[in-house]
Amino acid sequence: MLKTKILGFELENPLVIAAGPWNRDGAGIKASIESGAGAVVTESIVSDTVIDARPRIAADSMGAQNIRLYSDIQIEGWEREMAIAKSAGGVVIASVSGHSPSEVSYLASKLEKYGADGIELSVSNPAVEALEVVAANPETLYEMTKAVVSAVKIPVAVKLSQNTTNIAKVAKAVKAANASAVTAINTVRGILGVDVETAQPSLSTYGGISGEYIRPMGLASVATIAQTVDIPICGVGGVHSAKNVLEYMMLGATTVQVGTAVMLEGRQIISKIIRELEVWAQDHNIRDLTEIRGIALNNLKSFEEMKFRPSVNTANGTVCKENCNKCIDVCLHEAITRTGDMINVDRGKCTGCGLCESVCPAKKLKLGW
Amino acid sequence: MNIKQIAKKAGVSVATVSRVLNHPENVAPATREKIQKIMEQEEYTPNWFAQGLNFNRTKTIGLLIPQTMNSSNMEIANGIEEVARQKGYITFICNMEKDAQIEKNYIDHLIARKVDGLILMYSSLNDEYMDIINEEKIPTVLIGENEKRQNWDSVIVDCRDGAVKMVAHLIECGHKSIGMLCGSDPEQESKAILQGYTNVLKASGIKLSPDYIVNVENTIQGGYIGTKRMIETMTSQDSGIPGDKVDAIFATSDEIAYGAMDAIKDSGLRIPEDIAVAGFGNNKMSNLVEPKLTTVDEPYRLVGIYGARILFDLIEEKAAKGDNRKRHTPEHIILKTKMRIRKSCGHKERIGEMF
Repeated sequence: MLKTKILGFELENPLVIAAGPWNRDGAGIKASIESGAGAVVTESIVSDTVIDARPRIAADSMGAQNIRLYSDIQIEGWEREMAIAKSAGGVVIASVSGHSPSEVSYLASKLEKYGADGIELSVSNPAVEALEVVAANPETLYEMTKAVVSAVKIPVAVKLSQNTTNIAKVAKAVKAANASAVTAINTVRGILGVDVETAQPSLSTYGGISGEYIRPMGLASVATIAQTVDIPICGVGGVHSAKNVLEYMMLGATTVQVGTAVMLEGRQIISKIIRELEVWAQDHNIRDLTEIRGIALNNLKSFEEMKFRPSVNTANGTVCKENCNKCIDVCLHEAITRTGDMINVDRGKCTGCGLCESVCPAKKLKLGW
Repeated sequence: MNIKQIAKKAGVSVATVSRVLNHPENVAPATREKIQKIMEQEEYTPNWFAQGLNFNRTKTIGLLIPQTMNSSNMEIANGIEEVARQKGYITFICNMEKDAQIEKNYIDHLIARKVDGLILMYSSLNDEYMDIINEEKIPTVLIGENEKRQNWDSVIVDCRDGAVKMVAHLIECGHKSIGMLCGSDPEQESKAILQGYTNVLKASGIKLSPDYIVNVENTIQGGYIGTKRMIETMTSQDSGIPGDKVDAIFATSDEIAYGAMDAIKDSGLRIPEDIAVAGFGNNKMSNLVEPKLTTVDEPYRLVGIYGARILFDLIEEKAAKGDNRKRHTPEHIILKTKMRIRKSCGHKERIGEMF
């Protein structure tokens, strides 16, 4: 029911464990495969390992900021690690990162030799990159992707960054270079917070923000790519439930990666999401996930295409016994009042913005004619 | 000289020379003496290292370094040695003092010692010598630009691109008369940097004055002298042509830039208010000099790591396929530089330093 085809593989399910320190070596990758994920991406492998900053990861209830740079295992060591990673089967995608086409293609061809099933080219690192993000430049990305695609026989995906002015343009360049898929999105440059007693930011430099903070951006990026470029998409950013997986898929993703949730909640979250997905698919009579891929895009128009109906709040006279005044508090036009249990809407004042409907916990408010 | 050359000179086969070394009792006395005499004359040392080892692998590589006093050369060596160590190899580090003759002599020695591979850093060897290496079928990697590098496996840094970015930055900081201190070595890299400089000035419509390109030794002193000359030329021009003076100096190495800074200070001028200085390479000291030097970071260690990686790929390939393989398509790794904007070029915002 959950079988998914991408990059020429038939995966057991559409969940992929994203690149990150949880997949830092063979043992970690093996554990990720054993958690039931359809495929696993290694932590990004680079030309020369760098010493990790300490501390390097901070988290709160919404997500995390990390300045973990890359894998601390040199390419020479990945021959051994890849053998361990693949000793129990499973699909292992090697994430590689670098600054020049010859550099990334060298790493990719080595990892192919060591047994990687595919390559994910990662071209952004919010913690260290310059103002000119490689991932933002279609020409550079084209050259790098092309070099990797021609260096290996295994499929190549490219991980895109939200830190670009036009992600569709970048995705087009990647497709033109014959990549098999795109992954969207990488972490977003940010600062989790500041301790106001000590004036200490959560980490000592800018980092990549992941988790729920970035899911809206991930969803928009996936939708944008799905609407503009014909290439399989692996959605990533803030996934920690089956609902999130479905959101990404309905906006056009073929597979979905889980990263921060694995870090904060453990690998057992994978089997939990899979179970939830199976139940949902059964309840909705879905035999194949391709049935839902991109279906939300039909309801997602460009601003130009939108038709403007003179909708207003239709709740005038509705009885509401909730101990709540949210709709009244948020109304930007003071159109909503309350008489006891009765909601009053001044249709002349209401401009149909929809905020009351969105915040109402009791779902009492609706826009309409 | 190696065993083949001894054999040639004696007019005998390599096998005969080998017998003289290993089983002299089986060689006719006259022939034996003749060969031993040539060996003595040529100071031929038999390959003691390989004798008795399986597969004729000595687990050694030879590394030729232009100048061991040069810190960037040593950073490259550090990367090479680290990979070699992981592979269980010992690296012979040979300091060729930027002298082609010393380089040739070392290569002879290394070939005689049957090293499994060679890494030539900023080599100036000509075709004749490269042919000798080729005939010996010793896996060899070139580090740094070389006119012949297309035929050899190589690792280079895209210096032209780095220079383009730095000169564009100087222009962005408001500098219009940008002097260039062009180091004597590494020769090809200096040329690439000069080319990047010329391209940007042309594209920006800035007059390219030949007085502003000064060739210097790649040393602190070279930078000092070149800058003094530039400042003195500037003063005399300043009296004649209004506004025509050097307001920034771009050096092809950080060492030259240190000399430039010293000369500017000695002349009673300020950095960057009177003259801005930009270097190339990003030596460790460049973050400590006053003001901190804006420069182009070259990934020296990474260059070394890749040089060694490719060399061991070649060595392993040779072991797997034997000596008689056709020459493969050479691998060329091109690495990128990074801008390191600090305090010596007069930019106001911190943004360039942070990102």
